[in-house]
Amino acid sequence: MESRNYITACSKDLKACSTCLHLCKTKQFHCHICGSKIDSNNRHGIQTTIALLITALVLYIPSNLYPIMYTTYLGETSSNTILGGVITLWEHGSYPIAVVIFVASVLVPVVKIIALGWLSYSVHTKRILYFKNNHRMFRLTEFIGRWSMVDIFVVAILVALIQMGNVMRIMPGEASIAFAAMVVTTMLAAHYFDPRLIWEKLDQSEEPRVYE
Amino acid sequence: MKQLACNECDLLIKIPELVHGYKAICPRCDFVITRFRERFRTKLLALSFSSLVFLALTLMFPFLIFTAQGRERTVYFLQSLKGMGEDTYFIVVLFMIITTIVVPVALMVGISFVVVSSRLSIGLPTSRRILKLIFQLQAWNMAEIFLLGILVSMVKIASLASVEFGWSFVAFVLYIATMAAMRIYMDKYQLWRIVSPTREAR
Ligand SMILES: [Zn+2]
Ligand SMILES: [Zn+2]
Ligand SMILES: [Zn+2]
Repeated sequence: MESRNYITACSKDLKACSTCLHLCKTKQFHCHICGSKIDSNNRHGIQTTIALLITALVLYIPSNLYPIMYTTYLGETSSNTILGGVITLWEHGSYPIAVVIFVASVLVPVVKIIALGWLSYSVHTKRILYFKNNHRMFRLTEFIGRWSMVDIFVVAILVALIQMGNVMRIMPGEASIAFAAMVVTTMLAAHYFDPRLIWEKLDQSEEPRVYE
Repeated sequence: MKQLACNECDLLIKIPELVHGYKAICPRCDFVITRFRERFRTKLLALSFSSLVFLALTLMFPFLIFTAQGRERTVYFLQSLKGMGEDTYFIVVLFMIITTIVVPVALMVGISFVVVSSRLSIGLPTSRRILKLIFQLQAWNMAEIFLLGILVSMVKIASLASVEFGWSFVAFVLYIATMAAMRIYMDKYQLWRIVSPTREAR
């Protein structure tokens, strides 16, 4: 355990520009280096984050219920949902790929929505936060989020490759639009969440500043 | 020493002059604020130029050759993105073209401009505008995800057909590799420093 007194920019009425890192005054409207907006209130993004998370949650339903692609083989057409595709891969013994798709398409979006939702909720309440862990969780969701898009690329490649009329053909499914929109929405939700909020609570707390 | 605040946790910190390979880490949240590499401008310029060349080659040659039941099908890179068609899935196709071609090209052309402009000390205000755009676009560069998508697709259809990689695929892998290398040198702090109006000669 170590205890240190940290001085934050906020306490000196300063704020780092998130675009160019320049240290601006909080009463400034625009950074004079890069022209980005300086918002003295880190909380402004939270509403946007929450709205985007709800949208993502709504989009998650059709992206899992509707087929992500249709396969025609020797005149017969069958549909595949995301989860159905994972199960098929597993049954064929492609375990590593099944795991990759399951993690990227099913697990990551849910975990990301829960994690960001939890962070948005905790910065609102007066709970004690596990600052370092929460911050790590945020960095991770920001980093892995875009990899969810892999399934969309898989469908696109399969559709482009397999076009042999009634013998063998793959067509995209409705879920691909919902799924792509969902990934974009969660990426934006992470973008609008200001990680400084996680630490803001620490600065305001009366507790001694103890880390880990 | 330059005073900054950590973009992640708001801690006020002083960044010392770094030597090659050293990084400055926030003592509070462990975020890597900057990493200095010697001659990063030259490296960025070389890498973005080679990425552009590899992308041009990717677009020119056959990408994948697919054989099933005696029939052969050659697919070019753009075709593999546009496969979903122009009507219902137009928006998805557009998204994929933007994230695998448009955004990377914008990043590479942009960074080349910034490097040259900082070297010659001309057009710095334009460079600042470009740099702002570059950091906004960075998260939307998904070319490497497309590569993972190809590998997954290959496994998926391995039992149905045989797929050969065309020359364009080799170029595509190199395109991804040079772009990944570029990411190492894309340091926010160091890049803003070279275009800032109050920049010191280095
Ligand atoms: Zn700025
Ligand atoms: Zn400023
Ligand atoms: Zn920090």
